[in-house]
Amino acid sequence: MKLALKLLVRDWRGGELTLLLAALIIAVGTVTTITLFVDRLQQALLTESASFIAADRVISASRPIEPALLARADEYGLQRSATVSFLSMVFSDERAQLAAVKAVDDGYPLRGKLIVADEPFGTGRPAQKGPQPGAVWMESRLFPSLDTRPGSSVDVGALTLPITDVLLKEPDRGGGFDTVAPRVIMHLSDVDRTEIIQPGSRVTYRYLFSGEEGNLKAWEASVRPDLPEDTRLYGVKEGAEEIGEALSKAERFLLLGGLLGVILAGVAIALAANRYAYRHFDHVAILKTLGATPARIDQIYLVIFIGLGLAATLIGAGLGLLVQAGVAEVLRPLLPVALPAPTMKPVLLGLTTGMVCLLSFALPPLLTLRNADPVRVIRRDLDTASPSSLLAYGFGGLGTFGLMWWYSQDLRLTILLFIGGLVAVAVLGLLALLLVRSGRQVGLQAGSAWRLAVAGLQRRQLESALQILAFGLALMLLLTLFLVRTSLLSEWRNQIPADAPYHFAMNILPEERGEIRTFLDEAKVTVTPEYPMIRGRITELNGVPVAELKRAGGGERGAPRLSSTRNLTATATLPKDNKILSGAWFSPSSLVSEVSVESEFAKSNGLMLGDMLVFEIEGRALAAEVTSVRSVAWDNLQPNFYLIFSPQMLIDFPSTFMTSFFLDPDQKSLLSPLLRAFPTMTVLEVDALIEQIRTIVAQVTLAVEFMLVLILMSGAMVLLASIQASLDERMKQFVILRTLGASNQLVRTSLAMEFAVLGAFAGLLAALGAELTVYGLEREIFDLDYSPTPWLWALGPILGAGLISVIGMLATRRVLDQSPVAVLRDLA
Amino acid sequence: MIKTNNVSKVVETSEGRLVILEGITLEINQGESVAIVGASGSGKTTLLSLLAGLDSPSDGKIVLGGDQDITVMSEAQRAKLRGEMVGFVFQTFQLLSSLSALENVMLPGELRGDPQAEHNAKKLLDRVGLGHRLQHYPRQLSGGEQQRVAIARAFASNPKILFADEPTGNLDAKTGAKIIDLLFELNADFGTTLVLVTHDARLAARCERSILIDAGHLVSEAVDASAAIA
Repeated sequence: MKLALKLLVRDWRGGELTLLLAALIIAVGTVTTITLFVDRLQQALLTESASFIAADRVISASRPIEPALLARADEYGLQRSATVSFLSMVFSDERAQLAAVKAVDDGYPLRGKLIVADEPFGTGRPAQKGPQPGAVWMESRLFPSLDTRPGSSVDVGALTLPITDVLLKEPDRGGGFDTVAPRVIMHLSDVDRTEIIQPGSRVTYRYLFSGEEGNLKAWEASVRPDLPEDTRLYGVKEGAEEIGEALSKAERFLLLGGLLGVILAGVAIALAANRYAYRHFDHVAILKTLGATPARIDQIYLVIFIGLGLAATLIGAGLGLLVQAGVAEVLRPLLPVALPAPTMKPVLLGLTTGMVCLLSFALPPLLTLRNADPVRVIRRDLDTASPSSLLAYGFGGLGTFGLMWWYSQDLRLTILLFIGGLVAVAVLGLLALLLVRSGRQVGLQAGSAWRLAVAGLQRRQLESALQILAFGLALMLLLTLFLVRTSLLSEWRNQIPADAPYHFAMNILPEERGEIRTFLDEAKVTVTPEYPMIRGRITELNGVPVAELKRAGGGERGAPRLSSTRNLTATATLPKDNKILSGAWFSPSSLVSEVSVESEFAKSNGLMLGDMLVFEIEGRALAAEVTSVRSVAWDNLQPNFYLIFSPQMLIDFPSTFMTSFFLDPDQKSLLSPLLRAFPTMTVLEVDALIEQIRTIVAQVTLAVEFMLVLILMSGAMVLLASIQASLDERMKQFVILRTLGASNQLVRTSLAMEFAVLGAFAGLLAALGAELTVYGLEREIFDLDYSPTPWLWALGPILGAGLISVIGMLATRRVLDQSPVAVLRDLA
Repeated sequence: MIKTNNVSKVVETSEGRLVILEGITLEINQGESVAIVGASGSGKTTLLSLLAGLDSPSDGKIVLGGDQDITVMSEAQRAKLRGEMVGFVFQTFQLLSSLSALENVMLPGELRGDPQAEHNAKKLLDRVGLGHRLQHYPRQLSGGEQQRVAIARAFASNPKILFADEPTGNLDAKTGAKIIDLLFELNADFGTTLVLVTHDARLAARCERSILIDAGHLVSEAVDASAAIA
């Protein structure tokens, strides 16, 4: 033990450990930095996005939940609040209007803010909580509809309440069309006196909870089994579909980045540890001649390993903590939200990752040292065993797989990436070897610097191939991450085009369609196509009443039940961002009763092509056959429907129409005359919602960009480590050349060329690998449209050659300037 | 001290079996100094590595110290035996580059857990004339100085047998002569059995006995070493 520690200190002093320690520290540091920063950003992001549901978790129910069950949240230190929503007519002196009433308690909202104004469509200011008991707030558009002003009163059920403020924005309004009616918000304690809620009334009770994520999870696990059957417990990802998708993709990307970071760090460690082991083979042989047994060698190198690991992980984690604090400080002005304080969990994660990396990547080469043959001290040529072995690769593979799984918590993603990685390594390795061999033809016909460079590669065929593989993999991971990032960002940007229709107009009466369109056209407002809209529900599936059917389950987004009342439409053209997954869209001339079903709705309710559905619309039955299943981009801010009928089917029903349009901020004042002229029409403003989405997308983008920079650093480390690993062998060759009288210029040029050839080959492989990986990832994991990137094939080799020549020449510069004797002594 | 019986070493190569040593039977007594001589490739270095337990013979028996049959021992047992009985001096010195002169000489003692390791090492380095260069690293020492550190390290374990493989092979004649003097002085002081492989006729002549190896066979126990090498 003492001897081992002494050897560790002596090795350190002798400079033997510098590279390995640096690789370890950077590995642990990068992983800790990434994990810490991403964790903080994710927390901030979740907090920000939690405002979409005004809480971290929501229980939604159609009947009140037992107070005892709700009080369980107190045991977990959660904050809670409650809201009750229902539809009711609201009356002013002159007019009446159907409104979506929401009653809130003093705790509401737990996340996000209420924004109010003094005048309809006025300038907003945040409010700490909802209206006082005995008062209501109303949405801007209700004022023209009811022809009233702030300060006057409205009747809500049996209660007359003064309007104290104009509601501009509520965090959990969402973009769904179930609550198309304009909002009236009141205090929860006034609800009973309205006498609106009677047995049988359609009321939604929402119980909001917020707190620390760990406590929330524990509470969720405890309370979920005791919830009544028709209640729903959800977080922001399930609750706010507008951003849930973007958030999930961002998380998957950050995760992927973290994974690649760990793998790159592992490769750097493995390379450094291999070089260390290689250089220590002779040391071990000497120790053995001096009487050290294999067990003793194991013991010595285990202590060295543990000492090294502890030092590296502690320094690395500390460094990670500092770096991410620095990064957070630098980015503070750019971040739209304040980052929460770092928690210990990512630090522990970094420490563990460091140790696992060490165990799987650094320990195996060190343990092979015990096999060094003592006879090496006399006959070096007898023993050329390399420290790498099947065991080492096995350990490395196992460690990588374990870490990937642990990070992603996603076995499918892990297996996909891991097998993809293995295949890539095998195929790319073979290609690398072929490339090295093919270099001979070129080399023989070239000048002396070229010939030397190619001869250098040829002489160490296997090593060169391995190096190309290592460079290639590092470059491939970087390119992959870069490409996926670019696709993601452009998807997010396209998701909210600058002229997205921020206003949805609903309840348009058929006879008013023309007038409204003229009104908007005259004001030069762009209007999207109109859809007929009518409420209805499914009553029978293939002749069986739906009340008797069991829910199939399995949908990811928690699609509504078959029997729920839905907005229905009919159209001849497939709406924007909808894709037919199976079956066929209606033919233009179709006169048959057909219905197209959204895929999640179909999946969770077990609907198939050819199923016969019977709908109840306005008290009449309507039968239709399922002829297509569609995917819908719920986050595209367009009118979207679960169920769409073939064009002619709703003609006989008294449907209203909906459309959407875009207003410039200075056109906002059009809303008042529009609503006054067409009081039955409902206009839903989603510009506030879109602003919220923009903020979040900006944050996610920043996180993704930051991740890329960190991964680039890890990648550079791998390149450096693998150049260092081959340095001894290269130096020996060049010392011989120099001794034979080769000019420094020739040596430098040929070395630069060797690195350039290595880099170009690696870049070529990286382009191939990245193209395939991106194809797989974008299709399987990110649900993006893949498009090939031809420029990659040019960029890869150029990037590889440039990067590796520069890093290689920098790494070898010091040695090239020394005299041959000094180099030889260093190598001895 | 060393006894071999019909020792042979055969290796499998891509071109078939290669016999390096065959039927080597010899005996070396305690305190004796013996030179193994022969042409390049004759198998003398292989014989040395077999006698020292660095390598295992394909056949035959090697006994050290009267009763230690190293041909039936595991690598761990042989390593232990080497630590207790055997010292080495190599042509290429084989110092650990990351350790100073003192640390290199302390190493055998430290491996045994000897608390006196540092004291003994300092004494030995003093003895070989390097008392003033304890903290120097191998790369800061000349070839002759490195070999003197190696000799000090070889005697640090107080070995019963010292194996030397071409100890002057990497040194000029003058430095070589000094190293030979030092080696024999210490050998006499410690009463060690000395077995060395050499091309150097003067070095072989300093030994009490020479063994000539030719094409893997023990040809004769040459009394006149210079004749054997010629």
